[in-house]
Amino acid sequence: MTIASDGVAASAATPSVLLSGITKRYGPVVACDGVDLALHPGRIHGVLGENGAGKSTLMKILIGLIQPDEGSIAVNGDAVRISDPVAASNLGIAMVHQHYSLVEPLTVWENVVLGERARLNREQACTRVAALSDRYGLGVDPLARVSELTAGQRQRVEIIKCLRREPRIIVFDEPTSVLTPAESEHLFSVLRVVVVDEGRTVALVSHKLDEILHATDEITIMRGGRVVGRSRTSEATASSLAQAVVGRPVSLRSEAAALGLIETVAATITDGEAPDDKPQRVATAAPVVLEVRNATVLDVDGHALLDDFSITVRAGEIVGLAGVEGNGQRALADMLSSLVDLRSGEVLVDGAVVDLGRPGALRRCGIGIIPEDRHDSGCVLDLSVAENLVLTDLHAVSGHGLLDRRLIDRRAAELMLAFEIQARSSAAPMRSLSGGNQQRVVLARELSARPKVLIAAQPTRGLDVGAIEYMSARLRAAAESGMGILLISTELEEVLTLSHRICVIHAGRIVGEMSHRDADLERLGLLIGGVAA
Amino acid sequence: MTSSATPNAIPTATSPLDARAPGNARVRRVAGALPIAGQYLMSIAVSLALCALLVEVTGGSPGKVLSALLDGSVRSPGSWGLTLSTAAPLLVVAAGTIVAAKAGLSNIGQEGQLLLGCAAAAFIGTRADLPAPLVITLSFLGAMVLSGLWAGLAALMKFTRKVPEVMSTLLLGFVAAQITTFGLTKKWLLLATKNTSRVNNGEQLPDRAKMPTFTLFGNQVSWGVVIALVVTIVISFVLGRTTIGFRLRMLGLNSRTARRAGVSAAVVGGGALIASGAAAGLAGGLWMTGGSAGDRFTSNVSSNIGWQGLLVALLARDRASLAIPMAFVFAALRTGSSFLAATGVDRRITDVVQAMLVLALLVPPAIAAVQRRRRGTEGAS
Repeated sequence: MTIASDGVAASAATPSVLLSGITKRYGPVVACDGVDLALHPGRIHGVLGENGAGKSTLMKILIGLIQPDEGSIAVNGDAVRISDPVAASNLGIAMVHQHYSLVEPLTVWENVVLGERARLNREQACTRVAALSDRYGLGVDPLARVSELTAGQRQRVEIIKCLRREPRIIVFDEPTSVLTPAESEHLFSVLRVVVVDEGRTVALVSHKLDEILHATDEITIMRGGRVVGRSRTSEATASSLAQAVVGRPVSLRSEAAALGLIETVAATITDGEAPDDKPQRVATAAPVVLEVRNATVLDVDGHALLDDFSITVRAGEIVGLAGVEGNGQRALADMLSSLVDLRSGEVLVDGAVVDLGRPGALRRCGIGIIPEDRHDSGCVLDLSVAENLVLTDLHAVSGHGLLDRRLIDRRAAELMLAFEIQARSSAAPMRSLSGGNQQRVVLARELSARPKVLIAAQPTRGLDVGAIEYMSARLRAAAESGMGILLISTELEEVLTLSHRICVIHAGRIVGEMSHRDADLERLGLLIGGVAA
Repeated sequence: MTSSATPNAIPTATSPLDARAPGNARVRRVAGALPIAGQYLMSIAVSLALCALLVEVTGGSPGKVLSALLDGSVRSPGSWGLTLSTAAPLLVVAAGTIVAAKAGLSNIGQEGQLLLGCAAAAFIGTRADLPAPLVITLSFLGAMVLSGLWAGLAALMKFTRKVPEVMSTLLLGFVAAQITTFGLTKKWLLLATKNTSRVNNGEQLPDRAKMPTFTLFGNQVSWGVVIALVVTIVISFVLGRTTIGFRLRMLGLNSRTARRAGVSAAVVGGGALIASGAAAGLAGGLWMTGGSAGDRFTSNVSSNIGWQGLLVALLARDRASLAIPMAFVFAALRTGSSFLAATGVDRRITDVVQAMLVLALLVPPAIAAVQRRRRGTEGAS
C-alpha cells in the first residue's frame, strides 16, 4: 500500500480520504445529498445518524459497492475513481460489515484465506491469523470452527480478514450491534491500537450515541442524506448530538435509551421523579396469560437450547428477558412460533395447555410474535405489503375460500395509516420496504390480531431512533390495554426501560428474576454474564 | 399476481443515467424491461442461428427445414388442429408442475406419472362397457387417481422421512416404467388379448374411449384442448385468488413464516405434489385418448410428453399465462418434425431446437441474477 503510506508521511493535514459533494439518488429518494467528509490518519472518525440517514450508502460508495451520481473522492490528495471493492482494496480501503460474511462450517483460518488465489498453506495461514490475533489482542483461535464462535468472536474473525490485507483506511459499519458491552469495549481498545500505534484511519459508523462519544476523535452527523453537523468529540455532549441526530430536542426516555444514554436510564431507576413515566407495577392478581413450564428444547446435536426453562407473563405486564445473544432466546421465540418442538415441558395460554406440534397452534390460541429475524419467520419478502399484513388471518379477508382483494386492500390501507407504514403502495413487494417499515408491517399485523400475549424478540434491533421510540410506545400501549408482553432483548437499556419485571436467561435457563423497582445494574450485569449473584 | 419474482421485477434502472431520468417508477420499469426483452430476442436468435448452422454443416438446408416445420405444424391443411391437440397434454403437465413449484417443491417425475396415467386410461377405456362420455370421464379420473397416488408416494417420503422430492419423483418415474412394462406382459392388466406383434402391446382402444373432436376452420381439434385451457385457468385462479392458493404460495416463498401462520407443509405441500401428479395423469389420459399417441398402450407411449411439459413450465417461469404459448411452441416442434423427412434432415433436429430454446430462454434470467449479485445490496440505507 505504497500510496497510503506516502500520504501518511507527507502530512497529517492531508486527509487520507476526502469525499466532496457526494450525491446518490434512488429514483425520487436522495440517499446522499452533497455530502463532504474528510477522514484523517491516526484518528477515529464517527459517522452518526439514524438508519436511512445515508451513512451506509456513503460508506458503500467509499468501498466501491455503489457508484455516486455526483461528487469526487480523493485518497491521500489524489483524485480516484473507486469502481468496485477490488479498486478500493488496492487503494488500501477495507470495511468490516455489519452482517458477517463467514462460512460457518469452515474454520477461522479457512474463512480468512477464502477468496485468495494463491495455493493454500495451512501452516502459514494459521501462523498469520495467530500473529494478527496476538498483535491486536483479539484472542482468535485459527483452528476454531466459525459455527461454534460467539457473535463477538465472529466479528474479530471479520476484523482479521480485513486487517490481513494491511488496509490504511478501515470502515466499521455498526460494529457493536450484536456485541455485549464487554465485547464492544474490547473492540474499541483494538481500534485505538489500530489508529494510534499504526497511524491508520478508521471510520466508525453507528447510530449509538454513547459509543460515538466514547470511541471517536471527531464526529460527522448525518440526517436525511445530508451532513447536519461536525464536531470534535471532546467538544460534543450527548444531548447536543442527540438533538442533531433527531433534528429536534430529545425528551422521551425511550429515545434516550435508544441513543444509548445509559446514565439516563439508570437515573430513572434510582430516582423517583417522573413517576408517570415509569412502568407501573402490575397487580400480582392479574391473570397469568402465558406460562412456559420446564421447557426443554434440543438442537440437532442434542445440546439443550432451552434447559428446564420456565417463565410466566401476566395480563398487562411487560416481562423483559435479558441475556447475551445465543443463550436460548432464539429457541424460545421459535418454540413460541410453533417452529420447534419441545423435548419436555409444556406451554399454557390462559391456563390451557397448547398442543405445540400443530403449525400455527400458538397463534390460534392468542400468541402474537415479532420474531428476532423478521425475514426468517416474520414476513414473506416476495409477497406484497397488503398480503403480508393479512397472512396470519386469511379468514378475516376471505369468504368461501376466495380472497377478497378489496377487503385486503382496505385493511392494508387502514393498518398502513394506523402504523405509519411508508410504502409506495399496499401492492409494493415487502422486499422494497426499509427495515423499519418491514418491522412496522410485522408489528401492525401482530397487534391488530389482538393477541393475549405478544412476544417481541429484539424488536428494535437495527432500527433507528424514531422507529425505536415508536416501537417502545406501541409496546407500552399494548401492555396498558391488557396484553401480556414478553420482551426478549439483548439491549439491557431496552429491557430496563420497558419492563415491569426482568428475567435473565443464561445457557437456556432463567438464572435470576427481579422487579423493575429492585433492578440493580450490577447484579443484572453479573447474572447476564452467567455469574450467580 | 404480484408474487413471483420475474426478471422484470429486478431493478434494472439503477445505472446513474436511468436513476437521473425523470418519471415515475412505472415508466422506468417499462424502460428497464426493454433490454430484457432484447436479451430474450437476442438469445433466441443466437440459438436458432446455431441450429441453422447445425443443419447446414450436416448437409441440409435451414430454409427448407424451417419451411417443413411450419408446414407440419401450422401451414398444411388440418395441421394446426393437430398441433393444438398435441399442446393440450403439454399444457396440463406444465400447469401441474407450476402448482408444485409454487409450493416450493420440484416435481420432475411427470414422465412416469404421465405414463401411469396413460396406462390407467387404457385399462379403463378398453374394459368399461359404458356410454362414451362416461368411459372417458372414468378413464380420466382413474388416470388422475393413479398418478396422484404415485406422486403421493414422493410426498409421503418427503414429509415423513425427509427424502428430497427431486430424487423421489425422478426415480419413481423409472419404477413406473417398470410397472407398465410388467403390465404389458399380463393379459389381466394391459396386454392385448390377441397380441400379434413381436413386442407386447396393449388392447386397441374402442371408439367410445377416444376423445371426441370438433371442427374449427377445417381443423379437427380435440376437446382435450378445452379441458387443458380450463384446467390451466382454474389452477391459475386457485393459486392467485383463493386462500388455499395463498397458503400454498406462502409455503413456497417462506416455509417458516407459513408454518407460524398455520400452514402445514405436509398437508399443503403434499397436496400440491399430489395435485401436480394428478395433472400429469390427466395429461396422460388426454394423450392416450387423443389419437396422436396411437390407438393402443405401448411401453413408450408417453414419448417425452412429460419431460416436455416440465420444460414448458420451466420456460414459462412458473406462470400459467406464459405456459399456454410455450406449450403451443413445443407442440409445433413435435408436429412439425413429422414433415422433416422430405428435407433429408433427421427429425431429431427438433430435439436439438427444443434444447437450444430451453438454453436460450435461460440466459436472460441468468444474466439478471449475475447483475443482481454484482450490484450487491439494493437501495439506500
